[in-house]
Amino acid sequence: AQAEKWDMPMAYAATNFHSEVGANFAKCVTDGTGGKLEIVTHPSGSLFAGNEIKRAVQTGQANIGERLLSAHQNENPIYGVDSIPFLVSSFDEHEKLWDIAEPYVVKALDEDNLHYLYSVPWPPQGLYFKKEVNSVADMKGIKFRSYNTATARMAELTGMLPVQVEAAELSQALATGVAESFISSGATGYDRKVWEHLTHFYEVDAWLPRNAVFVNKDAWNGLDDATKKVMEDCAAKAEAEGLQRSKDYTQFTLDGLRKGGMTVQRAGDQLMKELKAIGAQMTEEWLAKAGPDGKAIVDAYKAAN
Amino acid sequence: MEQLIPIGIFLFVLFLLLGSGVWVGLALMGVAYVGMDLFTSRPAGDAMITKVWTSTSSWTLTALPLFIWMGEILFRTRLSEDMFKGLSPWMARLPGGLVHTNIVGCTVFAAVSGSSAATLTTVGKMSIPELRRRNYPERMVIGTLAGAATLGLMIPPSLTLIVYGVTINESITKLFMAGVFPGLVLAAMFMAYVAIVSQVSKSFDPSPEPPMSFVEKLKNSRYLIPVICLILVVIGSMYMGYATATEAAAFGVIGGLILAASQGSLSWATFTDSLMGAVRTSAMIALILAGASFLSLSMGFTGLPRGLADLIASLELSRFELLMALLVFYIVLGMFLDGISSVVLTMAVVEPMIRQAGIDIIWFGIFIVVVVEMAQITPPIGFNLFVLQGMTGHEMTFIARAAIPMFLIMVVMVFVLIAFPELATWLPDNIRQGPAG
Amino acid sequence: MAAARALRRVLDFLYLAGGVIAAVFLILILVIIVLQMLARWTGQVFPGATDYAGYCMAGASFFAFAYALNHGAHIRVSLLLSALGRRRRWAELWCFAIGTLITSWMAWYAVKGTYVSWRWKELSQGLDATPIWIPQLSMSAGTILLAVAFWDHLVRLVFTGDHGITTDLVDQSHAE
Ligand code: NA
Ligand code: NA
Repeated sequence: AQAEKWDMPMAYAATNFHSEVGANFAKCVTDGTGGKLEIVTHPSGSLFAGNEIKRAVQTGQANIGERLLSAHQNENPIYGVDSIPFLVSSFDEHEKLWDIAEPYVVKALDEDNLHYLYSVPWPPQGLYFKKEVNSVADMKGIKFRSYNTATARMAELTGMLPVQVEAAELSQALATGVAESFISSGATGYDRKVWEHLTHFYEVDAWLPRNAVFVNKDAWNGLDDATKKVMEDCAAKAEAEGLQRSKDYTQFTLDGLRKGGMTVQRAGDQLMKELKAIGAQMTEEWLAKAGPDGKAIVDAYKAAN
Repeated sequence: MEQLIPIGIFLFVLFLLLGSGVWVGLALMGVAYVGMDLFTSRPAGDAMITKVWTSTSSWTLTALPLFIWMGEILFRTRLSEDMFKGLSPWMARLPGGLVHTNIVGCTVFAAVSGSSAATLTTVGKMSIPELRRRNYPERMVIGTLAGAATLGLMIPPSLTLIVYGVTINESITKLFMAGVFPGLVLAAMFMAYVAIVSQVSKSFDPSPEPPMSFVEKLKNSRYLIPVICLILVVIGSMYMGYATATEAAAFGVIGGLILAASQGSLSWATFTDSLMGAVRTSAMIALILAGASFLSLSMGFTGLPRGLADLIASLELSRFELLMALLVFYIVLGMFLDGISSVVLTMAVVEPMIRQAGIDIIWFGIFIVVVVEMAQITPPIGFNLFVLQGMTGHEMTFIARAAIPMFLIMVVMVFVLIAFPELATWLPDNIRQGPAG
Repeated sequence: MAAARALRRVLDFLYLAGGVIAAVFLILILVIIVLQMLARWTGQVFPGATDYAGYCMAGASFFAFAYALNHGAHIRVSLLLSALGRRRRWAELWCFAIGTLITSWMAWYAVKGTYVSWRWKELSQGLDATPIWIPQLSMSAGTILLAVAFWDHLVRLVFTGDHGITTDLVDQSHAE
């Protein structure tokens, strides 16, 4: 067969570790197939923007792409399995959950005409504040940036005021006080230099959302077995590399936040206990939406612990 | 170099469609389609509609029609007349006279809006009729407006700096601060140019303003109060945390309506006229934006911008040579793409070059803004040229020629930035950015 | 002839209706943004406000495309057209033919894109969770209307030699 070129849209900046892992994956496939299949990555949303990527790959506008899975949990709650607040509380627990959930996600993607290749977790999500917070009561009335159903619900349950702020306006919203708090990984805060506006970061390891790399199913089926094998090997390598880099990056960004002048610490026992209770409630709510598949995942996870 | 033929076809189609008079938005669609067809086997139509939908249904874009609407409302009130009544006694004696209102107006409005199209329509809607009435040379009026409106991108808030900051993970607050002085310097350079031309050019011969005593001048200044209030409300809403940059536009519209009502010039007819005028102008801009977004996708598939940037990277240039190469590169790219697209499409390659050369990345953001500003006024695809054509009915060539001096001033600005990098770096370095509170 | 006149009236009504609908969407943008700010100041939530404002933005754009065309608001480089003088009609024919082609192509894929969103049950990724095909109906309707307008002008140009677009923007600004 003649040489083929696949364009791979990615949403995050070229220097983000996800994009670098993706670039290594692309090179691995290109080299492994002897150039028969060349994958070209397009970071920073320069081809398709983040919110366009799933549809673009689904309908063959691009053959392969990377997307934050939980962004699509409106369509299928299973895509949000990595974002149930406070169900897991470390990389290891998260990986355990993912091992159980992965086949279900693969099935969901398959129904959307997508072949799943690999996925890499973001660093754990923590809470950013402008003041010291030791309990849920301390959070009352704080303007909390929410960007999806789960974060809005979290604000509601903790007594904070949810304000909807798009990613592009986050820095400005913090600067002007439109938002005073948000939940994200240490990486986001480090990248956005949040210490210019906020003072405290609490490691609560609320959840670890994943970026997944998937291929258009028809394009996948059109590949010969040798190429598929190369892709799968490269995917396994990328997944391992990504997990390690995510762990390394977590420490790096927390140190970075400290260097920027923020107080970075694990949440106190009381706060953690109260947040876990809220997490339990939100897990129930997620289960009500996610049906038997969701229940099977959470039950298996709890049984394994 | 096997790509030379497809590039040639691409350029030929671009000039054929634009030059023969096909509507700009549709011409961009056509060129993008040809690009997709030549360079990739991906389905062009499906990709086109994905891009068109996200580019037209975007939340951040909503500020644009609102600011345009505000401009349409103000244009139908006595506000612009009043503003000139208040300003003209003071400015008429300056060399260059009231042409400076274009530049000052754009500078002030740039602090309100993050886009240059909104700056251009709002200020132009008010100033063009007043300046024409006073017989200022048309070329001067149009040229300064095209140039000064690009300050909307440099003086914070700025869409370009937000996109740049997000792309390279740098502090947007720092970038905003970095834009303040260069923005003011660029405005001053525009004004200096106006002052010089007014003394040298024979065609610069506006109708004289009636002479006035100092007390009369002061008295006339009361006409400025409403417009100053409006600007303070819009800027204030943003910096006091009542509104995001996007939402501030809503303050503008409501403020405009209140002003119009208080002057008794708000009738059902002026309301619907302003509304339908805003609808037409924003539809025109939306169609071009839709075409530009598809063209940007097509360019991404072709890999041309990145290939060119790669080429520059392979030359191993010195710091100054690199900046010169990038200047030329972005000027050329800016002729065919809108500024934000050319930033997004090339940053993956350009950022490491810049960091490696030891160039301050915040400073480079301002450098990028200046070249993006140039892209707004260079033909064949220059956004401010399009908007001005829609507003004045002048030929694109006339507007582009009128804007050439502004383009050259921006080139000078790049050298000023290189000679005095502190212009951009002093403010972000010296305002303490420790944790708030 | 009566049928032609009736058709003319129907088409002109449709273009104007598109413009009015777009205007309503523009007002809705303002209303939504104000409501969102009010909600925030009073500690309430308006979930999905930014998404709804985005859909209104699309509505305000797409529905107005044809209306803007008829008022000469869509800009073009008319240098060559003016230079051609009496032979301008041939160049206009080329422009309208290309315009008809491109807008028909857009309309086709807008409908297909809306169908695809429905087919894959695509939901908005924001707080609103709207099935995306619903706001995309404005894209389908607006691009169809624009394509119809282009066919309309093209047919008129072929049979009467006049495409029937009057530019009022220019008059407005030159009148001053
Ligand atoms: Na600005
Ligand atoms: Na340009």
